Amino acid sequence: MQMMGMLKIDRVSVTHNKRIAIKEATLNVNEGEIIGFIGADGAGKSSLIHAIAGVIRFEGQITFQNSVYHSPSEAEKLKSQIGLMPQGIGLVLYDLLTVGEHLRFFANIRNITQDDRFNEYKSRLLRMAGLDKFVDRRAGNLSGGMMQKLSLICTLLHRPKLLILDEPTTGVDPLSRIELWKILDQIRRDEGTIVLVSTAYMQEAAQMDRVLLFDSGEIIAQGSAKELIESVREMTYVLTPSANLHSMSTLDTTYSLEPLEAEHISPTLEALFFVNALQKNRLLPPVEITPRDGDSSFASVVMEAIGLTKVFGDFIANEHVDIRLNRGEILGLLGANGAGKTTFIKMLLGLLSIDGGELSLLGKRIETAKDRQALKSSIGYVSQHFALYNDMTVRENLLYFALMHQIPMDTAIKRIARYAAELGFEEYMDAIPTELPLGINQRFSLAAALLHEPVILFLDEPTSGVDAIARAQFWQLLVALKEKWKIAILITTHYMSEAEFCDRIVLMREGQKVADDTIANLYTAHPNAQTFEEIFLEYYR
Amino acid sequence: MRIGILKAYILKEMNELVRSRLIIMVYLLPTMLLLLFGYGIRMEVTHARIAIIDNDQSHLSNLLTSKFEHSKYFDATTTFMDEGEALRKIKQAQSDAIIIIPAAFEKRLLKGQTTQIGIYVDAAFPSRGSTMESYVQGVILNAASGLIPNATNGSIVINQRTLFNQAMRDEDAIVPGLIGLVLLVAPAIIAALLIVKEKERGTIFNFYASPLTKAEFIAAKLIPVFLLHSLNIFILLLWALYLFEVPFRGSFWLYWVASEFYILVSISIGILISVITKTQIVAVVLTVMVTIIPGFMYSGIIMPISSMVGMSRYEAHVFPVMYYNHILYDVFLVGEGLASEKTQLYLVILALYGVILLGLGALWLRKEIK
Repeated sequence: MQMMGMLKIDRVSVTHNKRIAIKEATLNVNEGEIIGFIGADGAGKSSLIHAIAGVIRFEGQITFQNSVYHSPSEAEKLKSQIGLMPQGIGLVLYDLLTVGEHLRFFANIRNITQDDRFNEYKSRLLRMAGLDKFVDRRAGNLSGGMMQKLSLICTLLHRPKLLILDEPTTGVDPLSRIELWKILDQIRRDEGTIVLVSTAYMQEAAQMDRVLLFDSGEIIAQGSAKELIESVREMTYVLTPSANLHSMSTLDTTYSLEPLEAEHISPTLEALFFVNALQKNRLLPPVEITPRDGDSSFASVVMEAIGLTKVFGDFIANEHVDIRLNRGEILGLLGANGAGKTTFIKMLLGLLSIDGGELSLLGKRIETAKDRQALKSSIGYVSQHFALYNDMTVRENLLYFALMHQIPMDTAIKRIARYAAELGFEEYMDAIPTELPLGINQRFSLAAALLHEPVILFLDEPTSGVDAIARAQFWQLLVALKEKWKIAILITTHYMSEAEFCDRIVLMREGQKVADDTIANLYTAHPNAQTFEEIFLEYYR
Repeated sequence: MRIGILKAYILKEMNELVRSRLIIMVYLLPTMLLLLFGYGIRMEVTHARIAIIDNDQSHLSNLLTSKFEHSKYFDATTTFMDEGEALRKIKQAQSDAIIIIPAAFEKRLLKGQTTQIGIYVDAAFPSRGSTMESYVQGVILNAASGLIPNATNGSIVINQRTLFNQAMRDEDAIVPGLIGLVLLVAPAIIAALLIVKEKERGTIFNFYASPLTKAEFIAAKLIPVFLLHSLNIFILLLWALYLFEVPFRGSFWLYWVASEFYILVSISIGILISVITKTQIVAVVLTVMVTIIPGFMYSGIIMPISSMVGMSRYEAHVFPVMYYNHILYDVFLVGEGLASEKTQLYLVILALYGVILLGLGALWLRKEIK
């Protein structure tokens, strides 16, 4: 009977659009085990997940509950045992249906008998997700974190024996993430469910029974988080500038295959990505940013908002928020989903009218619509979903943005060429954005936002779903930009480890500012906290 | 096919249709199309501005002139001007036609000699021109037979055309054809949106990853649209009978059953398109292309199928609209009903269309990522 709950994946390959997405993946999972999939965007995690869930054609063989399947139609008989939550916030939800209607719908299409036992289970899930008070709210009006929790409990309704989750926590705030994991852990223990989950958060992966590292369509390493971390301990050092040619650095760590005369530090799972890149000789060029064409000696207070307030009907989205952006400073804007960050940024951008308080740019007050227009030409903005045109090449996109900002053609062409070289997307200039990895799109979105040489750069979750190496590179770029251009950078992120690279942090909760200080001061104020995530959570308790 | 699952899915679709306000389109679009086209398409000509140049000034010519003056189809003015001036009036669009009565009109007629009447018609719009031409000829012939009962044939040389017989009202000809067009277009558009919307949004995964069968999924998409549009069958009938005052000579039951079959065909076209497309916009454009154009061409509004020759005749037989329209014209205007073998055959053909199109949809629907 021990074989009963086992999942056996035997040399599974998926070809997607004539490209091999995953090649001969083999894996055995025991009942109740939780397996983490990590790897860069496009490494093959989603394809393997789709194959196991029986929603994409594959080669090879999968055995679950002693049933064998080689194709989606053969997997049909097992679908009542499988739960799949695909990638994308609220992807499987219907915006116009309420939370309660979702639960009824998902229970019905899986033909679940809705007896007392089921209702009890349903209420328990609702309580665990903290959604019991929002049963009548439409899914379209939920925050990202709540959407993901709703998706998860909808996937759990039929008590699947195999639960497959594709990046359930990407773009979700730390608080919701913790709640999501609580639900998952509880269910797994109660039901003996096998859980396969891909994640971009290494702290999450570290909690799992086993971790699989994906790279270019192959599983290149697997083991417990501890074993994997041990395997790269020797190559992890404190930041050592210009160590040697075969090394890579983030803002606080250097990875090198050759021994360095530097102190070792304790690696995280992220180290795996860097060591793997080094082993495959995929080195990154060092980040170099040249000073901008325009003047960098603008006022030291770039933007100041005093008592900004925004009201939607009888809901106060922002209440008397003060914020100051200084020249040459990276400011991290943190908060749970729905805390009012996006509303705030939209007011600063001039996209939303201001209901109270005042806003000034370089010492000049913004009052009229014309002022707000002027505001836009001083700000570079990278939105969450990279507003790129997917029918044009990278070069055409950039030229289009340059022309929108009325930059003369010859200046634009020169500037684009320079950014392409410095931000490292030169070789992709003639590709279409949809063909490119997220990390490249992120960099060229940054270039698009910088074309008109703004004094402020707003980045709204630019690193969600981007892999560790690309993120490390992105942060090096930001720091270099700050230093060379003296630009003010405002960034929102859900990676608490990234918050540590910010010069100052503003924390928002329920539309109000609850903290505004440097990282060091925050650590001093919260002596018990080991990581920044713990500080964050303290503000929410 | 599990009823509980179907009910849940249908309830969800209905909820979404109502909350997304798409329900307004379900009922507005058919009525709007019927009213727009029903009032907009006019084959008959009324109040044509006609200038009569009476060079005879006799009793008979006066009688002829008064015939024109008393017709609702013409606004006649009798003038004295030369031909050149009259032609200029046509060029300036102040007049639609000119009738020139020759000087010896009465004299020649009474003597039984052939006489000629000059008619100039503005044929910038050819069909309007030829309609006016035949009206004029009709009036003259009618007048001639009344004026001189003993006149021999050939007294007035005019080739008679029957177009003037307007007992056949425009509405009677056009509105039934329009119902055939509207019930082809409207259900197809809504149905086309339903599956592709889930693909675009990502919720299609709920179908991929659940034990829901393809037949259940298609039924869940088909039934709500079918029920909602079934009501339109009656709404359109009411408009036809009471607003356009089209007679209804056939069987109500035949109208109902044939229309339900036809809606099924239309929805199946929509579902088929929904299965093969990836975005809502493409689905809508494609649906409009494959329904409106053939719906118009082969609905019998523009020309009867029986007068089509060659390729167009074959094409007409490929599109379902021809079969339904035959039944429509029968129930509104003819009233033969199921006694006609052709009607029986066409009813079966419509049902076959529904079955085949749905079968193709089910065949091509994939329960996996492409």
